[in-house]
Parts: sequence; structure tokens; C-alpha cells
Amino acid sequence: MVQRLKEVDVVVIGVGMVGSIVAKELAAAGYKVVGLERGQTRFTVPEFQSPAVHDELRFDIRKALMQDNTREPVTFRNQGSQVALPVRRWESFLPGTGLGGSMVHWNGQTYRFQATDFQLATRTRERYGKNFLDPDVTIQDWGVTYDDLEPHYDRFEYLLGTSGKAGNIKGRIQAGGDPHESPRFRDYPTPPQKEHFQGAMFRKAAGSLGYHPFPQPSSNLSQPYTNPEGVKLNACVFCGFCERYACEHYAKSVPQTVILPVLLANPNFELRTGCQVQRIDLDSTKKHATGVTYIDAVGRVFEQPASLVITSTFAINNIRMLLLSGIGKPYDPATGHGVVGRNYAYQTMSTVASFFDEDVIINPFMASGASGTLINDFAGDNFDHSGLGFIGGAYIGAVNTNGRPIQYHPVPPGTPAWGKGWKQAVVKHYNHTVMFSCHGSSVSQRQNYCDLDPTYRDAWGQPVLRITFDFPPNDIKMAAYVTAKAVEIGKAMGAKQVVGSPRKGPYTVTQYQTTHNTGGTVMGDDPKTSVVNRYLQSWDVPNVFVIGASNYPQNATWNPTGTLGALTYWAIDALKNKYLKNPGRLVSA
Amino acid sequence: MNAPAPPFVRFTFSFLLIAALPCALAASATPAPAATPAATPAAKPAAAKPAAATPAAAAPPCEACHGAHGEGMAAAHVPRIARQSADYLKKQLDDYAAGTRDNPIMANFAKALSEQQRAKFAARYAAMSAPYIPQPKPPIAVHLARGHQLAFQGDEAKRVQACNACHGPDGVGVPHAAPYLAGQSAEFLASALKAFKDGTRKNDAGELMRSVAERLDDADIAAVTGYFASVDLSNH
Repeated sequence: MVQRLKEVDVVVIGVGMVGSIVAKELAAAGYKVVGLERGQTRFTVPEFQSPAVHDELRFDIRKALMQDNTREPVTFRNQGSQVALPVRRWESFLPGTGLGGSMVHWNGQTYRFQATDFQLATRTRERYGKNFLDPDVTIQDWGVTYDDLEPHYDRFEYLLGTSGKAGNIKGRIQAGGDPHESPRFRDYPTPPQKEHFQGAMFRKAAGSLGYHPFPQPSSNLSQPYTNPEGVKLNACVFCGFCERYACEHYAKSVPQTVILPVLLANPNFELRTGCQVQRIDLDSTKKHATGVTYIDAVGRVFEQPASLVITSTFAINNIRMLLLSGIGKPYDPATGHGVVGRNYAYQTMSTVASFFDEDVIINPFMASGASGTLINDFAGDNFDHSGLGFIGGAYIGAVNTNGRPIQYHPVPPGTPAWGKGWKQAVVKHYNHTVMFSCHGSSVSQRQNYCDLDPTYRDAWGQPVLRITFDFPPNDIKMAAYVTAKAVEIGKAMGAKQVVGSPRKGPYTVTQYQTTHNTGGTVMGDDPKTSVVNRYLQSWDVPNVFVIGASNYPQNATWNPTGTLGALTYWAIDALKNKYLKNPGRLVSA
Repeated sequence: MNAPAPPFVRFTFSFLLIAALPCALAASATPAPAATPAATPAAKPAAAKPAAATPAAAAPPCEACHGAHGEGMAAAHVPRIARQSADYLKKQLDDYAAGTRDNPIMANFAKALSEQQRAKFAARYAAMSAPYIPQPKPPIAVHLARGHQLAFQGDEAKRVQACNACHGPDGVGVPHAAPYLAGQSAEFLASALKAFKDGTRKNDAGELMRSVAERLDDADIAAVTGYFASVDLSNH
């Protein structure tokens, strides 16, 4: 039996970073908002406290903070000709669950994309010609510009208190920052975190080669900070347990530490946890949402009517929510028609290991999730791609986040994979190795997409999401080029042995790379190639907004969270100042 | 101000006569009234002269206050330093010498020492062991429970994380990073927390202790310091 609840103004699906911010803004504007979270309520105290929170086996290996894939898996295949199988152990990417969402276990790396990223298709055509790209590449412009988003980036960084050094304030290049960044209105709210030794080594070597090293923008804060919401954060202690873990120190910017105290104090907001949303309900025209249907933790089915529905779940779950609800035409890779699930992309990660003699002490465990040093000289379109046969790039940096004993043990090639020889090599190299990341862009490509799996269903009987993905040749070429540059930096550091591992295909879902899944509900100016308009409003059902990294038409060089925060405030601005004053389409199709 | 100003004031005038110290302390062992703002600054000039006269090579009389085994002197808010991390002790001595931790007595001693000597004294006390000294009056159960909660779990409403998150399991300390709290005197811990809270002590990296202390009220401070004083570190 379905129990119909009292109508509210807004239902927010997923109370993570996006959901918390949207709910806070709309509740503060006087709207009745219900937040539906499938996971549990959790706070810094008691859930995130040590020593339990530093249990590497529980959190790193067994993925305690992640979506329960015994109940709600995804299936995966590399090619459309293969049969997809369920991913029963998260490895390649790690979608979180519970109050605060995936941000609870993030590293705090808080970048902006560059102006050229938002007009990538136009920019590529103009700079390199019409036929530069593989015809299967489906990159497109975002429908918003960097200038549109700049104030919203700023607002998000000041919400988080991000620690960094500006490289370009209103067009003036700032010493010590990233000279390649697009102009920002003002500096970061807090100064950069302290540089660790490997960062200092990288800075020196990269500088000697003429590159432009700068401190990684970090939302593990360098000093105490009170944000504009009046919530105070502490300084980070460099414990090296950020990614895959929650922070016990109120030092990492996550919903619990930046906005939930304000949201949860507002009587216009109601949080319901343990609620699995089954679908967004539509009326008979299929052009208007009436609310959502969800199942609570004891199996009761509820219909929550609402005037406005915002889905703000993890990227791949946003795609699935639309597919389960029948909102937007599903993408068909055979014809190239349809939009939902189209332009799924990822991130192209390569590594370089620099091995030193035992008199060089690295202490890799003294780190935060974002206390590195890096360069953007080979990122995005910051270098000339003429004749290279690819677009995009990677940032290169000594951005290693930890030295945790189970997961961190760099050894040179040729080391036995187990046994005494392996153990000896781990002991020898653990404290004398510098790891670089080459954090690379990911183009969207015709064959890569998401749809509903024809076979596998979740614990509630609904089809699970099927991901079809392999690395586009463009990105493999990019990884090879940038990794070679990174190897040169390793050599300039004076390492005894430098080993570059450029990303190669096929993509494997059983090896951790990064939790930066993007696309599938992409934004744009054309309903034929996008799911939502530039304000993140569904083209098909105007009282549904979709907010997530699923909006990215392709993935840029950098970690996606900063841009998602900017898009969130951008969409809120449109909701508050346009849509809610006069509900309807914000852009005519 | 450091809370135990009255006993320190007495020290400053009497420490040249080491033998007189126990008497001075005994006289000041009655519960100390709140520090009067004028007391410590007034003590500074008086303290400076004798220290300047102390030959740098002479061993400062640590034992007079911190005890023959580094067990401290709880009633006078003097901390236990036996087996405290050498890095921590060295940093405190350096901070006293540099003026970044304010305490007229310790500043005089520390300034009279070379950096090498400061390192030597830190190492000496780090290597010492002293018997656990139970509190004369153990905390009542409800305060012990609150103290235990703050130590192990923290308090979300106050946005205070567990003490043990930095100070190690059961407050045993984390060498290089954070001093032990277990077995430390409640009086000293309370005066330290209050000094962080009112900003008179600010030699904590990243304002880590000030961020916590500013959110604790007097009852919390009494509870958590009573709890840690009740933990016998010699069990670890």
C-alpha cells in the first residue's frame, strides 16, 4: 500500500554536498523542503572519531562508507558487444552513501576548471581545425561560461574555506599561484597548507625545467576558518586519512562541517534518512513531476508530493533516477540519438614513481588529501596540441595523499608480487619514493554511455545502472604524452630510478583510479544533445532539476568538486531568482 | 593569564633560595584564586633579573618544581613531565625561550639555556619514569563519565572532537605530535586549557588547542581534566 504524504514545496533526492546546499538555500527562502537520503544520519561526533575512523581495513579495503553494492550495484562492461556483470566490490570509483554523501570521504582537492573547458568544442575547432578529432569524440560546450560561474566558484570556495594561493586575480598574475588559471575575483579564503617535503622537491625540479609549480587548493584547512554561514572549521593535522575516510577534526570541508548545522536548524527543512527513492512521479502528460515515491528502511512505500523535485545524487545515480522515472529519452549508441546516459566520461589517471636512495627521507604519511604541489603547464589547453593528435591534458604533481600501511607500498618494476622479496622491497622503498599523479581529462565518446541493465536488479526490484566504458584513444595518447613530461620532472629531482606508468587500455573497473564519474545527464543549449538546460533544468520535465557531475558534457583535467559547487550555486540562483518566481521553462527548447 | 599565578608569583620571589621552595609551595597549596591580571606582568621584571644573573651553564632547578622524577606538583599546577615526548618538551622550552609561550618562571630558565641544553633536558625527562600519583579527591562518577565522553568521543553539539584523536588512545600521547594527558595533574591540565581558551597560551600549531578549548565550559574542563588525571599511564 502506498501512503500519500502531505505535499511540500521541494523534494531533494540525496542529502550530500549538493543536496545540503540546495536545501539550505531554499529552506532559508521560506520553502518547505524534504531531503530524502538513502543512507544513515552521521556526524563528526561520534561516527567519524578515531581510532575507529582510521581503520584501514574497514574503510580502505572494505569500503565502509560506500554505496551498499550488495543491495544496489552497478553493472559494467567495456564494449557494447559484451555482457555486463555486477560490480560487487568497489574499486575503480567509490560512490558514497549516507548524510553528507560522497563528499564525506573526499580528499578536499578543490579546483576550478578553466574558461576554455566550458567551450571545449568551439575552442578545439577554432584552434586546431574541424577535423582534428576522432569522429567518435562527442565533446560539446557546456552552455555556461567561466564568467557565468566565477561568482559561484567564489561562493563555494568561501563556504568551504579552501586553502590556496591565487594565480590570477582579475587578470593580474600572482607570484606563487597558478598562472594558467582563469581570473578569479579574489584570493582563496585561507592560505595554502604547509608544503610537504615531496612537494618541495617537486617545486624545485619543476621550476628548474621552466614550469610553474603552485600549491594544491585544499579543503583540508590550513587554519581555523568561520564560513559565511557562521560555521567554524579547525585546521588540518596532516594525519593522512582523508580519501575513503571521514575527518575527525572538523578540518575537512564536508556538509557536516560547513552547512548541515545551519540546514538542520531550519524548521522548513525535514531530513528523512533510510529512504530509497524509487522514481520521480510524473503526471499523465509525462511533462510534469508530481513528487517522488520512496521506500523507507522498514519497507513502507510513500508517495511524497512536491511542486519541485531536485535530484542531487552521485553522478551515476542521477542518470539512473531519470531512466527509472522515464524522464528524457535514453541514449542509443547505435543511432547516436537520445540523451540520458550519453557522454559518460571519467578521468585519465597516470602515475610516476621516483625511487631514491635511503638517505632521502620522504615521510609520505605526513600529508593531507590536498597538500601537494603541482603544475598546470600540461593541463587542459595550456599547451599547443597541434600535431599531437589529441586534446586535453593533465596536471602533474607530487600530490600523494597518504602513506597508509595496507595500501601504500611503492616498489619498482621487477619486484616479486608477494612473499619475502616483495616485503623487503616495500621496506626499502616505503620512505624513499615520491609518487606523482598525472590527473588527466576525459573526452566523451560515442561508445561510452550508461543505461538500465536488462538483467540485474537491485534489492528493491529495480533495474541497476549499466556502465559501458573504455578509454578513448584520445585520452590514451594524452596520458602517454603527459606522463613522459612527468618522468622528466622525476629525473630532474635526482631520483635513482623513475618509472612512468601512463594509463593504458582497456579500462578496468577492478583497479582504483578516481571517483570522478561524469556525464550522462549533461547540460547544454540543445535538447538533442543535453538532458538539462544551462540552469540544470530538465528539458522534458521543467519542475525537475538535476544537479551533479552528471551535468558535465566531458570531464576536464581537474577534480570535479569545485565546479560542481559552482554549478550548484548557479542553479540555486536560477531557482530562487527565476524559476520559483514564475515556474516554467527557463530556456525555450 | 596562566591560572596559577599566585604560586608562580611566590616562586619568582623565592626561587633563588631553592631550599625555601617547598615552604613557599606549601603556603600556596590552598586553592588558588583566579589570577589577577596585574599579578603576572608585575612578576616579569622581578623574574628577569635573577635569571639574567644565572650562568648559562648552570642546571636550572627543574627538580624543585617538577619533582625528582618529573612527577610534577599538582597542587601548584606544575605538570608531570616524566616520559613526556622529548619533541614536545623541547618545543615548549624553545617556545618559552622565544617568548611564544608565556610563563615568567619557565621563560627565565629556558632563556638561560642554549638550544643544545634545552634538547638535553627534554631528553632527560623523556627518559625518566615516575610513579602515577592518584588525585587526592577522585572525580565523581557523573563527571568521570562526561570526561570520558569528551576524551573518547567528543561532543557534536559543541563541535569538539575526541581528545584522543590527537593525544592517542586513552590520552597516552603521540610522540612528535601531541603530549600525553593520561596521568597528568587535573590542576595543570585545567590551567592549560583555560590558558588556551582565554588566548594567553597560543603556541599550538594551527590553533588546534585554542579551537577546542574555546568551546569547553568550566564544567567540561573540570570533567575532562579529572578524567585524564584518573588514568594511570603506567598501565600503558
